[in-house]
Amino acid sequence: MSLTSSKVESLEAKSAPRLSLLGFTMALPPVLLVVAFVGLPILIGFTFSLGFTSGPNRVVSLIGQQIHSKDHWWGTFAAYRDVIHDARFAGDLILTLVVTAISTSLVLAMSLGIGVYQRMVGGRIASIMSTLTLVPLFVPVVISSWAIHTFYSGDGFMRTVFHHFGINFPTLTSTTAAIVIGTIWTSLPFAILMVTSGFQSIPDALIETAQDAGAGFFRIVRTILIPLALTPIIIAATFTAIGILGSFTIPYFLGPNQPTMLGVEISNFFGSYNRPQQSIVMAFIVFMAASGIAVAYIWANVRSAKQSGRI
Amino acid sequence: MARVKSRQKTSLPIRLSLYFFIGLMSLFILGPLLWLAVHAFATNWTYPNLLPDSLTFHWWSKVFLDSALGTAIKNSLIISPIVVLLSMVICLPAAYAAGRLNYFGRKTFLIGMFAANSFPKIGLFAAIATLYYALNLMGTFVGVVIIQLLGTIIYMTWIPAAAFAAIPRNLEEAARDAGASKIRTFFTITLRLAMPGILVAIVMSFLASFDEAQGSYLVGAPSIYTMPTEMYSLVQNYPIQVAAVFSLLLAFPSVLLIGIARKHIIGGQLAEGFQIK
Repeated sequence: MSLTSSKVESLEAKSAPRLSLLGFTMALPPVLLVVAFVGLPILIGFTFSLGFTSGPNRVVSLIGQQIHSKDHWWGTFAAYRDVIHDARFAGDLILTLVVTAISTSLVLAMSLGIGVYQRMVGGRIASIMSTLTLVPLFVPVVISSWAIHTFYSGDGFMRTVFHHFGINFPTLTSTTAAIVIGTIWTSLPFAILMVTSGFQSIPDALIETAQDAGAGFFRIVRTILIPLALTPIIIAATFTAIGILGSFTIPYFLGPNQPTMLGVEISNFFGSYNRPQQSIVMAFIVFMAASGIAVAYIWANVRSAKQSGRI
Repeated sequence: MARVKSRQKTSLPIRLSLYFFIGLMSLFILGPLLWLAVHAFATNWTYPNLLPDSLTFHWWSKVFLDSALGTAIKNSLIISPIVVLLSMVICLPAAYAAGRLNYFGRKTFLIGMFAANSFPKIGLFAAIATLYYALNLMGTFVGVVIIQLLGTIIYMTWIPAAAFAAIPRNLEEAARDAGASKIRTFFTITLRLAMPGILVAIVMSFLASFDEAQGSYLVGAPSIYTMPTEMYSLVQNYPIQVAAVFSLLLAFPSVLLIGIARKHIIGGQLAEGFQIK
């Protein structure tokens, strides 16, 4: 309902391009903030990773250790070489990508399952399930990571309870499995919210017609539900993957010391090791890994905003 | 309507396995939170006992009397309201413009907002920290405020924009016809109808700021600690019960604010805004 009304409204807005200067001025402040503190740092950070150590990078170059200055007009790859030749890096990168892939697929599978159940069956069980899965959205990530840490630790709940059944439950804290558990825990609500709202916006008439024509449950899911909710599904998947790639707290509290996810390594290199240039290089390697996902994310967002008439 | 959702009773084994699944999900989602919460009141917990040795409020007084923890609580309670107010001043006009007006570069602006959100967080924070050295913002109050402000922009622009766009124009026209001034119409009709959306945006922005840990830690520590960043050192230097108490304190605003805005959040304002997060 609100979708159609907002579409009508924005069509009206488009047909009446009055006050365009006022609108532009009002829209400017958040854009300037994003340009100054997202766009600019990324641009400057990139030059820093290539060895441009003067100008805005002068102070950080004075403070940091093992800074490489450019030896060609375009810069140098010395800091990139440092990172790639670092014995820990390959393990960290593989762990980061594997955790991202496993957690994203599991989150997506769970939200599709719960979303389809809610759309096709509904009822009390479905509403309990959606309320339950919304909980992590409102728990700060430092709390949830630490809670999961204590829950699966050597003297945690799982080991305590299983001990009384004579089963030796493994200590998951400080393993890769705990990172996967933590990332699923924190990513679940957003993905489920997106996917269910996508399924809910599909009209009943479409599903009923397919049922009348004799289509079975899986055929309806495959040919109607998933194609029509594809945009929110893609947003859910890409947002989850980007979030996990850039996570720090969860692997910091839950993962092993070595190898660890690149988020922890970026923070360690920047702070504890005082090697900011190598830290920025890793950040750009993560950006590269995410760039394909990011394009899909922006594309799906633009498509969804267009469909609801907001662009 | 009735036909999509099948009316026939689901068979017993399927129902049982669904209940089993819900039990499993409850354990997975609520288990860790409850387990940590109980620790806040436990003197000691000997593995593998099912119950703590005895109960106490000792850890609560320890938290309130510790000066470092007190400072962190104070910092959080000062920084987050400032961030939300700044975010409202900066973003609400833009939200109104995005919802109601057409202007040059509108599309580019909106796409730019998505793009800003598509960088993995910790990498972005490292890049911002590099710039902070040049701007002398490293370890400063302003630096932490800006980092947290960035995380609220998406909520404060998109959710209110959807709310402003959904207000029927004819209501405003009716008010104008009845003789209300432009300003009065804006405050009594437009703003009032957009209020649920703005409220959800305020709640989400406050929580985003209050709970932000990774960026605040990278640019704020070791001179400025907020409650979430204090957790990083807390868990290493204090017994688990202190971390549990601190977690409960940290979770308190979320529970309170979500309670207030629950109706609107479940009612779709949040999903609407998330659509384009």
